[in-house]
Amino acid sequence: MKKRKQSADQELLDRSFKARIEPYLYLLPFFLGIAVFTLYPVINVVLISFKEGYSYLTRGFDAWGLANYQKVLSDPKFAQAISNTIKYVLLVVPISTCISVVVAYLLSQKLRFSALFQTAYFLPMVTSITAVGLAWKLMYNKNFGIINYILSFFGIDKIPWLENAAWSIPALVIFGIWNILPFTIILLLSGLQNIDPQYYTAARVDGSGGLRIFFRITVPLLAPTIFLVCIINTISCFKVFSELYPLFNGNPGPFYNLYTVVYYIRYAMIDNRKYGVAAAAAIVLFGFIFVFTMVQRVVQSWVNARKG
Amino acid sequence: MKRRISRFFVYFFLTLGAVIMLFPFFWMFSSAFKTTQEINRFPPQWLPSRISLDNFRRAFEMAPFAKYFVNSIVVMVCSVGLTTLTTILAAFAFSRLRFPGRNLIFGLLLSLMMIPFEMLVITNYSTIVDLGLWDSIPALILPFTSSIFYTYILKNFFDSVSDSLYWSARIDGSSNWRYLWKVMVPMARPSLMTIILLNALASWNSFMWPMYVISSDKNRTLPWGLQVFTTEAGSYPELLMAASTVVVLPVIILFLFARKYIVRGVARGGIKG
Amino acid sequence: MRVVLDHITKRFSDVTAVSDFSATLEDGELISLLGPSGCGKSTLLNMLSGILPVSGGKIFFDDQDVTAMAPEKRGIGLVFQNYALYPHMTVMGNICFPLEMQRVPKAERVERANEIAKLVHVDMLMNRKPAELSGGQQQRVAIARALVKNPRLLLLDEPLSNLDARLRLEMREEIRRIQQRTGVTTIFVTHDQEEAMSISDRIVLMKAGVLQQNDLPQRLYNEPANQFVADFLGTPPINNLPGHVEDGAFVTADGKARCALALVSGIENGRKVNLSVRSESFVLDPDGPMACEVTRVYQMGKEEMAYLRFGECDFRAYIDSDEGLKKGDSVRLSLKKRGVFVFDLETGERIR
Repeated sequence: MKKRKQSADQELLDRSFKARIEPYLYLLPFFLGIAVFTLYPVINVVLISFKEGYSYLTRGFDAWGLANYQKVLSDPKFAQAISNTIKYVLLVVPISTCISVVVAYLLSQKLRFSALFQTAYFLPMVTSITAVGLAWKLMYNKNFGIINYILSFFGIDKIPWLENAAWSIPALVIFGIWNILPFTIILLLSGLQNIDPQYYTAARVDGSGGLRIFFRITVPLLAPTIFLVCIINTISCFKVFSELYPLFNGNPGPFYNLYTVVYYIRYAMIDNRKYGVAAAAAIVLFGFIFVFTMVQRVVQSWVNARKG
Repeated sequence: MKRRISRFFVYFFLTLGAVIMLFPFFWMFSSAFKTTQEINRFPPQWLPSRISLDNFRRAFEMAPFAKYFVNSIVVMVCSVGLTTLTTILAAFAFSRLRFPGRNLIFGLLLSLMMIPFEMLVITNYSTIVDLGLWDSIPALILPFTSSIFYTYILKNFFDSVSDSLYWSARIDGSSNWRYLWKVMVPMARPSLMTIILLNALASWNSFMWPMYVISSDKNRTLPWGLQVFTTEAGSYPELLMAASTVVVLPVIILFLFARKYIVRGVARGGIKG
Repeated sequence: MRVVLDHITKRFSDVTAVSDFSATLEDGELISLLGPSGCGKSTLLNMLSGILPVSGGKIFFDDQDVTAMAPEKRGIGLVFQNYALYPHMTVMGNICFPLEMQRVPKAERVERANEIAKLVHVDMLMNRKPAELSGGQQQRVAIARALVKNPRLLLLDEPLSNLDARLRLEMREEIRRIQQRTGVTTIFVTHDQEEAMSISDRIVLMKAGVLQQNDLPQRLYNEPANQFVADFLGTPPINNLPGHVEDGAFVTADGKARCALALVSGIENGRKVNLSVRSESFVLDPDGPMACEVTRVYQMGKEEMAYLRFGECDFRAYIDSDEGLKKGDSVRLSLKKRGVFVFDLETGERIR
């Protein structure tokens, strides 16, 4: 404690111009990138979102106002995008979390071939979503797809996964879950490794069986990590886009029925050249992310405080 | 006995799950070698009847995948190289050098991390156009030369190095610059490995940004080129799978060798979002 | 090189770590900077090395004012408590590092490194990494690294506190030997009085940022300047009997016991004092002025450690075993000349 204070109070002995300018020289290249491609865009996108009639070509606009937000919030397409995104989040996050908790628990056991299992479960994390999405598209094929073939063993008729509006959501969700599992499992696994093995020993001495230990000890102790994972996944699922693109030839669903928030931003920007509307939609997206981030910070600080 | 049965179930479920996780990759690779007839067969054929690189050759003829590949490599090397450099310098400044408002500035940067890239695209797109870089390779590199997240990871490592090492070096006559490169960077090798690998993966797989700023064939990178290829090769899924294999395989090989570094980085909240 | 500290003060935002500290350290001496933890001795060392700027005062190396000089220009060697070896470099790399920074040619670097490694006995370990060395070996390497550039001043910051007891003894001797071989002026920071007593030519004792006494080790023990110095040095700690002076006699605080002492004869009546006596300064003497009761006796080889009570003051004394003291005995003691001091009870100042 005392030590930290001391170093925080340290002044520079070397007060020469060179010594004082030095930190800024180290920071310059970093800040150049951040300023031009993060800081300025953040400010600019907020400004654009309030500029009515903003023209991309002339950079001119008619007046300041909320017209872009009105446009976004009254656009049925955006309502559809929000509803699809929320549906996607509500399906992918809980299901992937449940599967991941079980898999992470099994992987945390002392296993033979554990490196092999880890490689298998973590692989989708590093490969290009858009490339693997093409393989899924092939697997989902109504007439020749392997998935429908396997389902036929259970007496299920050919499902038009990618051709039918109703089936397109499950198709996207299954692919989304497969894609997000590795990341979720890794976070939960590292959470599991932080649980003191004493708890398990104690439970085993008490004669509890494996399943009982899992539900009475592992899950409650892992709860903070599970919560954290849910928040992070919610945020990343809100930005669903690259999962969708390869499945439907770059379109948001077979009948343009699967608009998501990010797809809407692209549509407003590229197809409609309505930058103000795109900016307003992006701000709405950020609003969602901001709320979840704040919840995460509050809960995390609460957990940390409880840990002491 | 009961333990043995439960062990069996653990292995059984894990293996089943692993098969499901790996299946799309198997299907991609297997399809990449099938003929047009074989791939359009029902019930589907599990394995190609012969191994031939014919599909790869045809895919590379139909679209300039070799060019995409080179572009991807160039973009990856440049952006990873530049990011690593700016990250090392900035992390050192934030961790070691003293200047007014240091902690405040770093805190503000951390809060910038929650801004989704999707929100920045709108302005960055016009910036790239204004710079006259639209549809060029630098357009894919320039926005990715600084990373708050990697700087944060590396600063954490630098912070964990004892002060006394720094002062020893200073007293021995080392400048900050020489201390950074002679002592800190060699010591940070594992953290740097993680940063470089995560960054390389992100760059290699990057799709959305190239989609916005690249239009011509000669400047496309693999993931974006592959999606464009779907319109040309729509009726030849086996060619599409061959091309996808080219995108995915290098990364899989890399992962087999560097799993530990990558997983460690991801556990700290890297990749995705 | 002679080091002069001239009214050095160091303030951190809300605390004064070192205040108005003046001392002169002679050339070629090994000086211990001694004091309890948090007394400002490391702060002082950091100001000497240039890691911390001073808030006030001046530092001179010989006649040169180094107060505002950057650390790398001061020509000092510094050994940290945790050794601060570069983990990715071999022993050779570590020892060569300061020379490399001074752009000494490679051949000369290696030669000088080998030479110094021989002096500190790590010449067999040149290709190892620090993680493959024991604590004592790491310590030696750190000293070699500090010495290789022929510093004007060697600073050692609690260099022994990370070692186990046996190694500590060994390294203590080693540091002494190396210092005498090189003749470099050395400042050794420690909180261990025994370490300081055994190793140094001179001890500078500090408390709460203030210099208490700057003297030869034996003088510090035999002629403490104040209560703090007397308390800090010596094992077992010095016995303190609080009381006051009455007609040339010492009376315990409770008033139950008194003894006539020449030492207090000059002190005015009623002054509250501490009578501080080292355990070895008591003598059994049937005519002695102190009438005490034995409360416990420990056998310690040729001597006995007796716990005695004088009035309501408990104290320890070494007594010759031949006397065969038992619990409950009443004895009379007299005091030797050496190791008996009177301090003002409030200010702690020595009354002579």
